[in-house]
Amino acid sequence: MDTNDFDQKLVAKIKQDNIAPKPRWHFLLKNYVIWAIGLLALLIGAAAVSVMIYLFKYNGWEIQEETHKSLWDFFLLTLPYFWIIFLSLFVFILYYNFKHTKHGYRYPVWFMVMASILSSIILGSLFFLAGLGEKIDNVLGERAPLYDIVINRHVDFWFKPEEGRLTGIITKEKDEQGLIIFDAQMNPWQVIMQPDFPSEELRLNQPVDIIGRVSGPNKFEAEIIRPVRPGRSFFSRPNIKGDRPGCPPKGCHQTPEKK
Amino acid sequence: MIDAKYAETAPDEELVKLSLADQDNFLYLVDRYKSRLMSYIRRLTNVNTEDAEDTLQEVFIKVYLNLNDFRADLKFSSWIYRITHNQVISRHRKLKARPEGYAVNIDDSAARNLAAEINIEAGADAQILKTNIFRILNKLDQKYREVLILRFWEEKNYQEISDIIKKPPGTVASTINKAKQEFKQELAKQKLNL
Repeated sequence: MDTNDFDQKLVAKIKQDNIAPKPRWHFLLKNYVIWAIGLLALLIGAAAVSVMIYLFKYNGWEIQEETHKSLWDFFLLTLPYFWIIFLSLFVFILYYNFKHTKHGYRYPVWFMVMASILSSIILGSLFFLAGLGEKIDNVLGERAPLYDIVINRHVDFWFKPEEGRLTGIITKEKDEQGLIIFDAQMNPWQVIMQPDFPSEELRLNQPVDIIGRVSGPNKFEAEIIRPVRPGRSFFSRPNIKGDRPGCPPKGCHQTPEKK
Repeated sequence: MIDAKYAETAPDEELVKLSLADQDNFLYLVDRYKSRLMSYIRRLTNVNTEDAEDTLQEVFIKVYLNLNDFRADLKFSSWIYRITHNQVISRHRKLKARPEGYAVNIDDSAARNLAAEINIEAGADAQILKTNIFRILNKLDQKYREVLILRFWEEKNYQEISDIIKKPPGTVASTINKAKQEFKQELAKQKLNL
């Protein structure tokens, strides 16, 4: 190689094409964008974890023997698949951005994947303790399309009267004839129960899940009644809150106070 | 432009700063690296001198364009080798050809080092040693060939190779080990002596 010739050609090329070093901000911006997207993915993933913990905690563990054939069956059928897929997507985005930081290549894939998952879980747990999981579920329950079928399949699972599960919102508090609930399709149900059935939590506008059996047209004999936690704001939707008897003038959209 | 004598002893990082201040100083960096990088390009590819020079020119233009992206937490030599490595790969990807090494760049000491590392006694005939090593290297998968070239011909340590090919140091170590095994197996398969 003729070194002088090479130098001259290189200088000529740089001058001819007006080549100049790209400004420093160009690289800094690229770096910041990678970090910002990674941070956003972490926050969204952590929010998903907080909802998963909320759903998991109020999954109906105490009545799983009544609703499922086995604990394993209960576990598989109540896993929050939507949130697991959602979390996986954002963990991947977090991992991808981590890998594309300046020194991301120095870490093995397993380390980056584990770091992404663990950071989402730790931050997600803090979000859960701060009540974010419940808030997100309430907002989605009230507004998200396909909430009852995709996001929180609890609602759909509990609306199977012929299989002994009924869910709805209390529109008439307990008296000697039981109580009245409206299901998600605005059908009224008379819920019959034993006179000594504990009813402290069965307040007006409280969404409830009921285990029992259909005992007549729109009559349901209750064995177990539990207040709905995840998915309760689904019953605050305009098409459900409607003008049911017992609703205040603004509609039955208020969520019950926490006990 | 700075004094040539000062440029000879100035560290790479200093020359980068001086090149950003004055374009002419960039030639000192070019002079410092062009022979090494030319050899590296020709070890990685089988292109003729003219094509290798074109690749080298593209490398230096990329280096100049991205000077502001260089950070002192990385060795400048690793950074410039990384750009060269990527440029060779992308050029060959465009041509849809597998990079193949060039026999003339296999030197004795590196060849003997490699033979010693894989516990094979090299014969006295340097020409046979070089020819056979070249044959085996060209039979190896590209990922194995490039780490062997960086380790034994460019004399880079694991951390430097990690920074050049952008893989974790642990992965580099295992790839080098695997490359040595593959080299030994290929040598036996071809029934060649070194």
